[in-house]
Formats: sequence, C-alpha cells, structure tokens
Amino acid sequence: MYILEAHPSDVWQMQSNIHDSVVFGSPRDEAERTNIAGACVRKLGIKFPAIIDGIENRTEVAYTGWPDRIYLIDRDGKVAFKTKPGPFGFKPADLETAIKKLPAS
Amino acid sequence: MHARPGTHHPHVVQKHYSKLRENSCTISKLLMRKPSKRFWSILIVAVVCCYAGFLVFVGWAMRQPPETFGRIMSRMPMPAMLMFPFETMWTRARAGSVVVGDNAPDFTLPTLDHKSRVELASFRGKQPVVLVFGSYT
Repeated sequence: MYILEAHPSDVWQMQSNIHDSVVFGSPRDEAERTNIAGACVRKLGIKFPAIIDGIENRTEVAYTGWPDRIYLIDRDGKVAFKTKPGPFGFKPADLETAIKKLPAS
Repeated sequence: MHARPGTHHPHVVQKHYSKLRENSCTISKLLMRKPSKRFWSILIVAVVCCYAGFLVFVGWAMRQPPETFGRIMSRMPMPAMLMFPFETMWTRARAGSVVVGDNAPDFTLPTLDHKSRVELASFRGKQPVVLVFGSYT
C-alpha cells in the first residue's frame, strides 16, 4: 500500500535520503504518486503487489499507516495483527510470528 | 571656597564617588550572595513548566496530519529531539482507531500498473492479507 511520502523534499528532507538519491517532493496527484511508487518498487526490488492510495489519503487515515506500518487481516476480514507505528514499530519479524498464529485453513 | 564654572566642587565629586563605590559593592555582594531557596524553587518551577509546555506542543504536533508534523519537525533542532521520549509519545499519538479484532476498513484501490483495482473485501473467506504501508522516502 503506497501512501503519502514520509520525507518529501518540500516538507521534511532527510540527509540520508539525499545521500541515497531518494529525493522526491510531495506528489500533487495520483499520477505523480504512481511514478514515485514505481521507482520505489523497481529500485527496492519489491516482489509483492503494490497498490496506490488515493491522493486524499483516505486509506492511510483509516489505518493510521503513515509513515509505515504492517497489518495482518485474517480470512474473516478482521485485523489479526497490527504493528506499532513506524519507523520504530515497523518489525516484519513480528508479522511472521503473527502469521504462524493464524488458524490453518 | 567656590568651584569654578563648569566643574564640580571637590566635596560633591567625593560624595558621588562614594555613592558609586557603595552601589558597586552592593552589586558585588548581590552577585556573590548564595541564591536563596526561594530563588531555586522559582527556577525549578519555571523549568518544569517550560518542559511540560514543550511536551504538550510535541504531543499536539504528533497528532497533526503528516505534512504539518513534518514541517514542525524539520524546524526542530536535533538536540531538542533528544529532550523528550519520542518513541513512547509517537506510539501513543499514532495508535490509530483500528485495533486487533476490528473489521478491517475496506478499500478499493488501483494496482501500480493501473490495470486493475483491488478490493480488500474480495479476500474475505479466501485468504489472509498482509498490508504493508509505506513510501519511498
């Protein structure tokens, strides 16, 4: 779920991003967000499907996903696991534990 | 004996000099004097109030939309960021309304290539779903 930028250059530029040449301003429409998302997926080699949140950020607001976060939704459509907000709480290892706890199909 | 026009009488000069010396002695005494308990109490209360105000401001900032929060943090000097429990406050501020056990808010969003749209509800009864929220920056 590609959402609004964590450190856009026009709001809160990070030196580490400059060092890594990841410098993008806040996208003004969905097309710009899609372009940045595409660059992200290509450069980071992300294999799982990517979807793009609308420019109104409705889904991010509903899930409080900014700047990064992981959710596990079970087969019944209920939230089975939710990390603390990133960056501190973004822990994929905890997701693995949560997945193992899901009841088998 | 009278002073010449444009000058002060020696007695007047001496009187002024004595007054000046008396004042400077008073100031020196004030500076060298050990601060009273009342002074320390007032100082501590002032510092605590300032720190509490700073925490309230940071907590308020953390609950603002990301762009507002980002603008505030971009202007905050790094040493100031070390003066409060950022992670604890951040975790609380960004807890969100969705909790484990809730129905996951539904959405229908386009894929990256915009060739299809994904609806979360379509997975119900079929398979679990992992949502990873993030951005490139």
